[in-house]
This record gives sequence, structure tokens and C-alpha cells, in this order.
Amino acid sequence: MSLTTMIIKMSEGLTRTCAIFFLTLIFSLPLGMVVALLRMSKVKIVSAVTRFIITVLRGTPLMLQLLAVTYGPYYLFGATVARNKLIPVVIAFSINYAAYFAEIYRGGIESIPIGQYEAAEVLGYTKVQTFMRIILPQVIKRIMPSVTNEVVTLVKDTSMAFTVSYQEMFTIGKQIANSQTSFTPFLVAGVFYYIFNVIVDYVMGRIEKRLDYYK
Amino acid sequence: MKKTVLILLTLVMMVSLLTPAAFAADKTFIMGIDPEYPPFSYLGDDGEYTGFDVEVCKAVCDSLGWKMEIFGVNWDEKLVQLDSMECDCVWSGMTILDSMKEAGYVISAPYYDNTQVLVVKADSGFKSSKDLAGKIVAVQLGTSGESLLNGDLADMAATFGNVLTCDSFLKCFTELQGGAVDAVFVDMPVAASYVAKHDGIAIIDENLGAEQYGIAFRSGDAELCKTVDDAVQALVKDGTYAKIAEKEEYADIVNNLLFLNSEAK
Amino acid sequence: MADKRTAGPGADTPSVLSIRSLQKSFGSLRVLEDISLSVERGSVVSIIGPSGSGKSTLLRCASFLEHAEGGDILYDGQYALKDGVYAHKSELNRFRTRFGLVFQNFQLFPHYSVLRNISEAPILHGENKEEVRERAYGLLKKMGLEGKETAYPYQLSGGQQQRVAIARALCMRPEILYFDEPTSALDPELTGEVLKVIRQLAEEKMTMVVVTHEMPFAKAVSNRVIFMADGVIVEQGDPIEVFENPREERTRQFLRVFER
Repeated sequence: MSLTTMIIKMSEGLTRTCAIFFLTLIFSLPLGMVVALLRMSKVKIVSAVTRFIITVLRGTPLMLQLLAVTYGPYYLFGATVARNKLIPVVIAFSINYAAYFAEIYRGGIESIPIGQYEAAEVLGYTKVQTFMRIILPQVIKRIMPSVTNEVVTLVKDTSMAFTVSYQEMFTIGKQIANSQTSFTPFLVAGVFYYIFNVIVDYVMGRIEKRLDYYK
Repeated sequence: MKKTVLILLTLVMMVSLLTPAAFAADKTFIMGIDPEYPPFSYLGDDGEYTGFDVEVCKAVCDSLGWKMEIFGVNWDEKLVQLDSMECDCVWSGMTILDSMKEAGYVISAPYYDNTQVLVVKADSGFKSSKDLAGKIVAVQLGTSGESLLNGDLADMAATFGNVLTCDSFLKCFTELQGGAVDAVFVDMPVAASYVAKHDGIAIIDENLGAEQYGIAFRSGDAELCKTVDDAVQALVKDGTYAKIAEKEEYADIVNNLLFLNSEAK
Repeated sequence: MADKRTAGPGADTPSVLSIRSLQKSFGSLRVLEDISLSVERGSVVSIIGPSGSGKSTLLRCASFLEHAEGGDILYDGQYALKDGVYAHKSELNRFRTRFGLVFQNFQLFPHYSVLRNISEAPILHGENKEEVRERAYGLLKKMGLEGKETAYPYQLSGGQQQRVAIARALCMRPEILYFDEPTSALDPELTGEVLKVIRQLAEEKMTMVVVTHEMPFAKAVSNRVIFMADGVIVEQGDPIEVFENPREERTRQFLRVFER
């Protein structure tokens, strides 16, 4: 197999890799905020349950969670295993990353001085206005470096979709490597991931820069 | 100072590269297995690795006075792991492929005749590979089944709707039972032992590729290969081999063991 | 000791703020004990006292940042807190528009420009954008911060930030303005510019309550001084009298420290 064929084959998988990446971000970023707010709930049982779920999601391998989401329903209820593996993959990734984002958000929210809430309250901002206008923008600026870290990790984590036979780039690379008894596909995969992350770094850097107008 | 360290390191590396060729009586023999490939090699109920290949290897090591260690390889990277000295052989229901010999690996005498079959749901009504046109077929990554579908059986594979590659045969079967795929293309003994334990699935009676199992050694290890081959033959002669094969858990494979059947003939 | 001239509902000219028998504790710790005071329109009341005396808590209760457990809080004769029970949330929100609070640490919104810091709240309350802007520019001029509209808080000195905070509170057009130790977080050379602004507001008859450690300022600017210690009002009255001829021993002790 020529290098060109190899790259073309693997590029097909790259579309799926991108699908995992973007869909996971689209779902997990807001979901993480919901989880963070539940985690900080004043209702003790809500925050305790949320906290437990977060520790499970952060304390078990993503690979296990992928298996659980994909095959768990079949083993538990005899439900049909999804033919389109993108669905369980994105669900597992989104839930897992939401747990990580939730803790980042929580750290960010808790780092905002209580005085900011009080100033907004005295000025008659509603709770929602206070959060959306005063707190959240400051939180976003503070957590950007941690979020960038997670996003870079996500790029590399997409290769784990292999566990449930989702034909993303790395899975295809492995198959080629196997049938051609060649290491080249792994090299190609490495280059792909590197380029992907260079782009991610650039974009995140731009966002951080745009938030740099205040201190 | 730095130079001395460098020279020492180089020496250590050279020695470590040379050692496998020079093996003595007290050698530790590292057997590379796929720990998920019953009945040839798998994790037994007692948590120890067992299986037909493992038992034979144990007997071989006993007879040669070697210590034995087991190393669970990542099946689709088994030859890389063999090359990188993580194990001394790959001995785990491994199909002998021409490409292995071409790549210079030393392969033992074939000891098992393997047959590839399709496993489907019992109520699916699929009777032959032709019924599976347009359907989804699962295969384990790195198995002979996968290479067959990419090679000799590519024409048949082209009629399938899609070939799904899973990283373990358990996942292949789960996909089948969970309804995500329509058939699993797998080695006969694996199919037989799985079907025996699970209801609702059946083997299509169609031999889709006869292959043989052997043991793979590194390119420089022809001598080691011969030692092992000879030891196995000795076990065949003194009946130890047959004794192992007679065990109930190997009932599915006993008829395909080449050494026993050639002797019977 | 409470000012008995202030009446509740029904009085001819109700006080802007009146507080009666206010009780507040943090856990088992009593921080406010039977506090009663009233603030007349156009007057400046200074609250002095050692730290931990409850003076800040008093302001925070008056601005609903802390929940009192007993007593009354009335704005213009209307109950915000009656006998330890707060008015409905929506009513409290309406009361909030009557007062402004300036914090010790300014609490400007760091991600907003000076202009947006000042003007956003009134605009959110439905006021005309242009009118609010106009007003904000006027206030900035008054605070001596002309040309700083587009600056961000981090670009300003502490004194400038505190003046922006005052402008922000004023832009809501409150009937009464609270200051919680407005100069305590400032370098000594910057306190003057903030006190000058407060003094100017006093001359314009802005109703204010100032919790402060600046004794000369309290003496010069306020119409009345309240001395608090250990959660109670020890003494209150005309500033000259309280400062020069305190009736209570506790007050004398406290003031002696500042004479040195």
C-alpha cells in the first residue's frame, strides 16, 4: 500500500475523529455547567449524588465507560447494540468530559469573590443576570487554560473509540498497520494528531487573547 | 566519566541484544499469548493463565528444565512485541501466514488445522456466506479471519455490507447478540466453544478457509524453534501431549490437532 | 437611646431609613443587639466603632446582604422587614432601588469598562440607554474621572476605582447611599480624593450612612455620629458632642486611641 493510499484511507477516519471531537465539545461544555451547578447545589442530597457521579466518571477509565455505554444496555436489559457507534461514543465522551469540565467550572465559579455577587445584588441584577453577565464571563477567562488542556487531551482520547470498534482514524491506522505489517500508519496517525492539536492550540490561544482585554 | 557510562550502557545494550541467542538450561522462557483466546490460551477460573497451548508449553519447559513466564501480548501488535523481546515466542492459536515467513520470522511445525466459520443468530435464517450479502460482519482485529477478509476472501468480503473490526472476539459476539452485526467471522474452535456456552447463536456449516496454527519465533531463533519443536514431538511420543488434549475443555479442538491425528492415521 | 422622633408609618415626613430593634447573630454569636436608628432625608450619619462592633453588619442588613432575625427595617415608612419577617422578594427588589452601597473593596466588575460598570444596571432596569449614558458621563465628570469611560478597572488607581464605584451607585439614583469603610482599602495618599467626593455629596444634601475610621472626616461632614461596640449602639448624637464630650466611658476609650 502506498503512503498516499494510506493517508487517504486514514483521512476518511479523520472525519469520524472530528465528529467525536466536535460533538463531544458541543455536548460536554454546557452539560459540564449543569453538572457544576448541581454539584454546588444547596440541596445536600443533590450535591452529594452529583459529587458521587463525578468521582465515578473521573475515577474510572474512559475506555470502561465506552464499553459500559455501548454494551451495558445489552447486558443489563437485552437492548439492541447501536449499529451506529458514533452515538454511544459521543454519549460516553460527553458524559466523561462533562465531569471534568464540571470540576473546572466549579473551581472557576468558586474563585470569584463573593463581593461580585453582592455588588450585583445591590445593583438589582437578578440571579440569572448576575450569573450570565458578571460571574460567567470572569469564570470563562479564569478557566481557559484548564479547558485548553482538556480539549488537547480530547483530541488524543478520540482514539479510544477504537474500543467499541468505531472506525475513527486510529482504528483504521491500526487495521492498516496490521494487514501491512508496517509501522507507518502509526507515524501518520501521530502527525495527524499533532497537526490537529496545533490547530486547537492556535484557536484556544486566540480565544485567550481576546479575553486578555482586562485583568 | 561520561564516556565510561556511555561505554557501559552500550555494553549492557549489546549484551541484552545478544542473550536470547545464547540460552542455557536455566533459561526463562517467556511465552507470548493472547489471554483471551480459549481454549488455546485464556485466564482460567482460578485466575491463572491456562489453555491447551499454555499446558503444552509448560510441559515443554518442564522437560527442558526451563523456567516459564507468560506474557499477555496485544494481539494486533504481537510480532512487534516479539521483536522487542517482550516475549520469546508467540504461541497462542496463531495462524501461520505467508507474510510472517516473508518477514523472516521462524515458525514451528504446524500443530493445528484451523477452519474459519461464520457465526449467526440461530433464528436469522442465514445458511451460507451468500445470504450475508449486504449484511454487517464482525471480525477480530489482528486475527487470521481479518487477514483472510482482506486477502484470499476479499471477494466474499466485498459482498458484505460492512466489515466491523472489534478488538476482542467477545465484543464481536456481543455485537452479534446485541443485534448490531449479522454475523461473526471467527476461528472454528472459538466459535464452537462460544456457541456451546451461549444460546440463540449457531455456526454456518461452511468451511471458509483452512489454516494452520504454529508458534512464531524471532528471525534469529531457529535453534530455539527446533528445540521447542523437538520437545513437543517428545511429548507426543511419550503420550503427555495426548493426555493434555484429552481433557474435556479441549474437546472442541482435539480432532484438529495435527500431531495426534497423523499418528492415528 | 434610639432616636424617638422617627416614627413608622403615618408620620408626617418619614425617615428615609429607620431601623428598630434589629437583631442579628452568626450562629451563637450575637452581632447586632436591639439596634434602632433613623436617617433623615439630606442628612449624613457616620457610624464609628472598633472592628467587630457590628457596624458593617448593620449596613449589610440595611442593604439586605445579611438577613436579620428580628426587628424592623423601613424605607420611607414602608416595611422591608417587619418583626423579623421580610417582605416578598419582588418588594425587596423594589426597596433595593432606594439605596446604593459602596464597598470597601470597590467590587467593580473587572470585565466591564468604566462606562458599562456605571450604566448597565439602570439600563437593565429598563431605563433609556441614552439617558443613562448621559447621566453616567455627568457623574464621571463630577467624580473627576472625565475621559476614563473606556478604561477598565485594572487600569485605574484604587482611589479612581472607588470613585467609579460611587458613580455606579449614584447612577441608580438612590435615595440613600451607604458606604462601608470606603477608604480602608486605599493607600493613605488616595483616601483624600474619595473623602472629597463624599463631602461634596454631603453638600448636595445626599442622604448617606458612612461606616468609617476617618474620625476627622466623620466629625466634619456628618450631621450625626453613632458609636457602636459589641453589637450595640453605645452612644449617638451631634458629632461635636460625641467627639469632644462623649457621655460614655466606652466611647472615650475608643476615641483616645485616635488622639494619639
